Amino acid sequence: MDKIILKDSAYCIKKGTILGIKQLTESEKLFEIALEGSQRLGFEPGQFVMVSVFGAGEIPISLSSSPTNNVSFEICVRAAGKVTNALHKLKAGDVIGIRGPFGKGFPVRMLGGKDLLIIACGLGIAPLRSFIRYVFDNRKDFGKINILFGCRNPGNMLFLDEINDWKKRKDVYFESTVDCGTPDWTGKVGLITTLIPGVNIEPERTFVALVGPPAVYKPVIKELLSRNVPERQIMISLERHMKCGVGKCGHCQIQNLYCCQDGPVFNYEEIKHLKEAF
Amino acid sequence: MPDNQYAILKKEELNSFISTLSKLNKLAAPVSRGYNNYSFEEVNSGDEIALKYIPTILPPKKYFMPVHETLLEYDISKGLNADAVTESEEMILFGVHTCDIAGIQCLNMVFSEHPEDHNYLIRRQNIKIIGLECNEYCDEFANCRLMDTHLPDCGYDLFFTDLGDYFIVHINTRAGEEIIENAGFFKSAQTRHLNELASFREKKRALFKIELPIESKFIPDLFDRSFESKVWDDLDERCLACGNCTTVCPTCYCFDIKDEINLFLTAGKRYRVWDSCQLDPFAKVAGGKNFRKARKERQRHRYYRKFRYSVDRFSRFFCTGCGRCSRTCMAGIRLKETLKSLIETWIK
Amino acid sequence: MGKPKVAFFDFACCEGCQLQVTNMGETLLDVLNIVDVVEFREVMSEKWKGELDIAIIEGSITDEHAVERIKEIRERSRILIAYGSCAAIGGVNGMKNNFDLDDIREYVYGSQYHFFPTEKTKAVHQVVKVDYSVTGCPVYIPEFVEVLKAALQGIPYYVPDYAVCVECKHNENVCMFDKGVGCLGPVTRAGCDSWCVNNGNICYGCRGIVSDPNEKGAHDVLSKYNIALDLILNKINMYNKCREVDQNAQGR
Repeated sequence: MDKIILKDSAYCIKKGTILGIKQLTESEKLFEIALEGSQRLGFEPGQFVMVSVFGAGEIPISLSSSPTNNVSFEICVRAAGKVTNALHKLKAGDVIGIRGPFGKGFPVRMLGGKDLLIIACGLGIAPLRSFIRYVFDNRKDFGKINILFGCRNPGNMLFLDEINDWKKRKDVYFESTVDCGTPDWTGKVGLITTLIPGVNIEPERTFVALVGPPAVYKPVIKELLSRNVPERQIMISLERHMKCGVGKCGHCQIQNLYCCQDGPVFNYEEIKHLKEAF
Repeated sequence: MPDNQYAILKKEELNSFISTLSKLNKLAAPVSRGYNNYSFEEVNSGDEIALKYIPTILPPKKYFMPVHETLLEYDISKGLNADAVTESEEMILFGVHTCDIAGIQCLNMVFSEHPEDHNYLIRRQNIKIIGLECNEYCDEFANCRLMDTHLPDCGYDLFFTDLGDYFIVHINTRAGEEIIENAGFFKSAQTRHLNELASFREKKRALFKIELPIESKFIPDLFDRSFESKVWDDLDERCLACGNCTTVCPTCYCFDIKDEINLFLTAGKRYRVWDSCQLDPFAKVAGGKNFRKARKERQRHRYYRKFRYSVDRFSRFFCTGCGRCSRTCMAGIRLKETLKSLIETWIK
Repeated sequence: MGKPKVAFFDFACCEGCQLQVTNMGETLLDVLNIVDVVEFREVMSEKWKGELDIAIIEGSITDEHAVERIKEIRERSRILIAYGSCAAIGGVNGMKNNFDLDDIREYVYGSQYHFFPTEKTKAVHQVVKVDYSVTGCPVYIPEFVEVLKAALQGIPYYVPDYAVCVECKHNENVCMFDKGVGCLGPVTRAGCDSWCVNNGNICYGCRGIVSDPNEKGAHDVLSKYNIALDLILNKINMYNKCREVDQNAQGR
């Protein structure tokens, strides 16, 4: 057997140095990463990278920072399995592997002048934070901005300090809710769908970005359609198991689509006929 | 008049040809494993080869995308050093049936699609294929006529057809021509031989009949209407989710990627290993949601990957009609029966 | 930081899984380079009463003394590994649970049986928290090495939740059913690289049953191949009787 070193393999990795780690909740951390030699990652909100911890493996993680930052990028990681637990053990200065960015993100450049309704549930805030921060960085390019955020309980609400800033902004409508409140929670309690009636939606100029666990998609979409938001203006990011990121390994397939290449962001019109989508 | 597209090899010279070939190259061919099972194995002489064989346990895809294949090697003892790698060696496959050649052509399309999979493509380049024609059906599980893979088309270097006391050999590539030149033993085919091949093929066409009451051009339609069919419920009750059907399929290429590090946690490799959409964890995400939890959803997915999704993506069916999935299924899930049930349900 | 302190303990078992460690060959030298084995009855006489980084438990829990002892070990161990089928899934000791406890005690110990208290056999995780499981009778050493590495890295290890058939086909074995022999490969968890079938044996189900077996489908297959259901159920129970303890705990 001859061993050949491949310079242009899809499995080549870039070295990423962890610049900083922030504990967001008990189980989630935010990692700031810079590529070796000041390489620019270059991505759009909604895209993901394959992250390697050597010895543990590689997993897809969506990008959480705004692409307007050319120097570094951020990923938000919940400790759930092998690789995520290994990531949580790392410290600033440690080196991880990065491939990507992969997939189709939110078509931010097509949304100029439009109103945005951003709906995040739970960990869905991780990819949407990238979108939200991009929009704030380019605020004048967009119309009205509405952000709805739902969580199981106040304890697992991510990016609390940033959310407080968003709340204070005059140019954003922000509302949040939790499924189960705690004694010190003064905000709303209820499902994410209960926040939609409070939003002033002009259907023809409103684009929705929705990310959350699979169970929230159907009820939220139903609510949006009842408010006459056109199907192709509802953008959803779907989560799937992924191994290669390049449309080969088969894990992320949703009928005839590959989530890693055709998605993860789809508009509802593209996928509504797919029985396996939700 | 001699024809330089075709050569002939007398049957009694096959063993000498195989021995010579195996001295020049690594050579693999079908061998009997007992219990009517066969597998491609490395051979050194013609005696070892089963010229008449039903499709092998694993298709020859095992040489193009090995079960375990290293993708990356890394050393983290002094910073991070990682190289994407592939391992490959030149070899010849002898005795590949047309269904399996079709399977390799399907994999070629998958791994040539952007971004190209160099691990596969380098191997593909290093493997020469010598086909061998089926003179009759291997057994009742095959549906190669329906899939139109029963006759040699392309995708091989040389192709052997048994015409009684000699093989007529189609020379399809320069590499095939070199094999013939280097080995000796071959003679140019004469008009008589070509006529005999033509009349053999005519008889073969009459013998191989479309195995199911459907023309292949209607299969995508059939599947467009069958997503909610009750046929899948029947498979749900029977399927053991052992993954055999996909492991032995010549066009299934799904894989998992894993890391293996040494005990000192200083260096290791990342490799891919065959995976299967039939297995429970395949479509499960970190939060625990399984997007194809029911066995019927997994079986349906397998069939749609063979007969519907591949048509959108690669403009061809990814079933080669080899019958392996049916042969290997302990629960007796038979591809032809499933298709037949779908057709019957559709007609109703 | 010193090397992690590791100890092996045996409960109801044949100690064959620990013997596998001594059969590791060169890998054993590597293992001894990275861990400090402080107690291992089969190969050394030293005992360790202090805190442990990794406790490796062979055997199932079959009486009140064992319950106390395993709890004591758990308390002083950072990581606990259930090692081998007896520890991980109850294993062959679970066969005791087929019988009335008094009957079986009398059968084994005779008329003075009440001097020998016993309890229903349990796997280790049915008594204390287990961090890692290495199933198998005996354990498959390459898998044990993987688990050890996961423990050293502090990351989880998951026993594959799919059938032995997957690895068996990867190895291109002739299927036992083609040979007319009943095999538990289709319902048994992989991870052993189909070790038994590679060597001409059937799969005995020593690694435990997959989480979502198609029991009806499996019955149909057996009748199709004319294999007696009782025979196979007995085979399954040989290693997997303690499955019932988990099922009862889940209220099934």
